Amino acid sequence: MSAAQSVPASALPVLRAENLSKRFGGLNAVQNVSFTHYAGEILAVIGPNGAGKTTLLNLLSGVYRPSTGRLWLQEQDITNAPMERRCHAGLGRAFQIVRPFPEMTVHENVTVGALFGQRGIRLPQAREQAYDLLERTGLAAHADRAAHELTLLQDKRLEVARALATQPRVLLLDEVMAGLRPAEAQEAVELVRGIRDSGISILFIEHIMPVVRDLADRVVVMDQGQVLAEGTYREVTANPQVVAAYLGTEAGLHA
Amino acid sequence: MSAVSARPVPARRPTFAWRALLALGIFFVLALAFPFLPLGDRREFLLQIGFFTLVAGIMALSWDLLARSGQVSLAHAAFYGLGAYGYALLLKAGVPWGAAMPLAALTAGFVSLLLGGVTMRLSGMYFAIATLAFTEVVRTVIQNLPESVAGGANGLLVPALLGGNSRGQYLLALALLLLTVGVSLAVRLSKLHHAFAAIRQGEETARVLGVNVVRYKLAAFFLSSVLAALAGVLYAGKTFFISPLDTFSLANSISPLTTSIFGGLYTTLGPILGATVLRVAEELLHNTVKNGYLVVYGLVLMLSILWLPRGIVGLWRRGRQGGDL
Repeated sequence: MSAAQSVPASALPVLRAENLSKRFGGLNAVQNVSFTHYAGEILAVIGPNGAGKTTLLNLLSGVYRPSTGRLWLQEQDITNAPMERRCHAGLGRAFQIVRPFPEMTVHENVTVGALFGQRGIRLPQAREQAYDLLERTGLAAHADRAAHELTLLQDKRLEVARALATQPRVLLLDEVMAGLRPAEAQEAVELVRGIRDSGISILFIEHIMPVVRDLADRVVVMDQGQVLAEGTYREVTANPQVVAAYLGTEAGLHA
Repeated sequence: MSAVSARPVPARRPTFAWRALLALGIFFVLALAFPFLPLGDRREFLLQIGFFTLVAGIMALSWDLLARSGQVSLAHAAFYGLGAYGYALLLKAGVPWGAAMPLAALTAGFVSLLLGGVTMRLSGMYFAIATLAFTEVVRTVIQNLPESVAGGANGLLVPALLGGNSRGQYLLALALLLLTVGVSLAVRLSKLHHAFAAIRQGEETARVLGVNVVRYKLAAFFLSSVLAALAGVLYAGKTFFISPLDTFSLANSISPLTTSIFGGLYTTLGPILGATVLRVAEELLHNTVKNGYLVVYGLVLMLSILWLPRGIVGLWRRGRQGGDL
C-alpha cells in the first residue's frame, strides 16, 4: 500500500473556514473557528467530549447555518448553501451512525450518490460507476443484497462508497471508526488512505487516537468550542495546553 | 478523480420483474375483453362496476406515486374533486370535453404544487393532517362560490361522458388507467424512482447525496394530482351530478390508501390488483350480506393487512429486495 504522503508546501486550499461561530441559546458551541484544509490532505479534528467537533462538522456539511463566519469550498462561498448544493460543489459526507437506505440494495444505495451527486449523468452510467465503487470498496459481492443485511464494517464501507459516488473533492468523515474492532479499524484506515491517494481531501473527526496518529497529516484540536492547537500529531500531543484539556483522559491520548 | 477503468463486467441491470409485467399485460387483456363479453341483462350494472373499478385503480396508483416519495397524502379527494369540478365548470364555459379533461387535470396539478410547497417541510402525521385540511379548504371554497358558478352545496349537473355510452365510458377509463400505468412504469425506470425512494427512506441523507428534495417532491405531487384529477373527471362524466360532500368525501382520500396497502405499496401492479379485488369483493358482499357488508369488508381489510404486510403482490415476491415493479 502507499505510504502517507506529506502535504506539499504549495498545496491549494480546498476548504476554508473563517471565524465560524454557532450559538444555541446561551451556549457557544463553536466560537471563532478558522482553519484551512489543503488539497490532498488528511486533516483530523479532535478534542474532548463537548468540544464542539460535531457542531463544527454540522456547520461544514450544512445541517446548521453558522451564527457568524464564512465557509469556502475552493472559490465558492458555501456558508449558507443547502446540503444538496454543497454536495454539487464537491463536499461529501459519511455519517457516524450509518444511514443506508434500508429498502434498497447495496448497489442502488451507491447509485443514488452517483446519480444525484453529479450533474448531467444518466442512469446506466450512474449504475456503472456505482458498481465500480463497490469493487473499489470491497462490496461488489454484496451488490444485490438489501442494505439492512450488512455487517457494521460493510455498512461503513457502503456509507463511504455512497459519499464517494458523488465525486467529492473533500470528504467529511464523522467518527467512521466508532464501533469497529481493531483489525477492522486497520482495514478502514487503509481504505481512507486509498481514497486520499485517489485525490480526495479528507477531514475527519475521531476519538481513537492511534487512528489519528496513523492517518492524519495535520490535526486541529478543539476545546470548549474553540481551536486550541493545530499541527502535526506529534506537535499537538506535545502541547501542554492540549494535554491539560485532555487531563483525565490522558491515557487515551497516549494509547 | 478516479479514472473510470474499462471493465468487461457489465453494469448490473435493474432487476426487472417480468412476472409483474406479465400480470399487468393479462390484466389489461382481460379488462379490454370484458365489455365485449355477453353480459346479459346485468350488462349496464356490470359495466358500471367495471368503470368504477378502473377509476379506483387510477386513484390508488396515483396515491401510490406520491407515497413513493414519502408523502402519505389525505388530499386525494381534493385532487379528485378539483378534476371533477374543473371539468364541469369548463364544460359550462363552453370548452369541448376533449380539452376540458386535460385542462381540469393540469389545473389540479398546479393547485397541488401550492399544497406541496406549503407541506414541503412536514412529514408523517403532520403532513397527513395538512393534506386533510387542504381537502376541507378546497371543499369549503367550492361550496361557498356563488351558486350560479359552482352550484354551492346543491351541486352541479354534468353532461354525460360520450353521450352516456357505457362501453365507451368504460374504454375511456381503461385508456386513462393505461396512461397511469405508463406513468408509473416510466417513473419506476427513471431517475425519479431513485429520488423518490431515497427521499422516502432518508430525506436528509438524500440531500447530502445531492438530491434536490424540493424539486422531486413537487414532481411527485404534480404527477399524482394530475392522474387523480383525471379519475375525478371520469367520475363527474359518469354520475352526471357532483356535489361538494360526495366529491370531496373523506372516503375518496382513504380508499386509495387502503387499496394501495392492500394490493402492495410502491408497486404498479399492487394498487391495480388491490382496486380490482376490493371493488369486486365489495359488490359481492353487498349482494350477499346486504347491510352488514361494510363490517365484513372492514374485517377482511384488517386481517389481510395483518397477514399480508406487503399486500397481495407480496405473496409472490416474498423476501425479495429492490427491483419491484
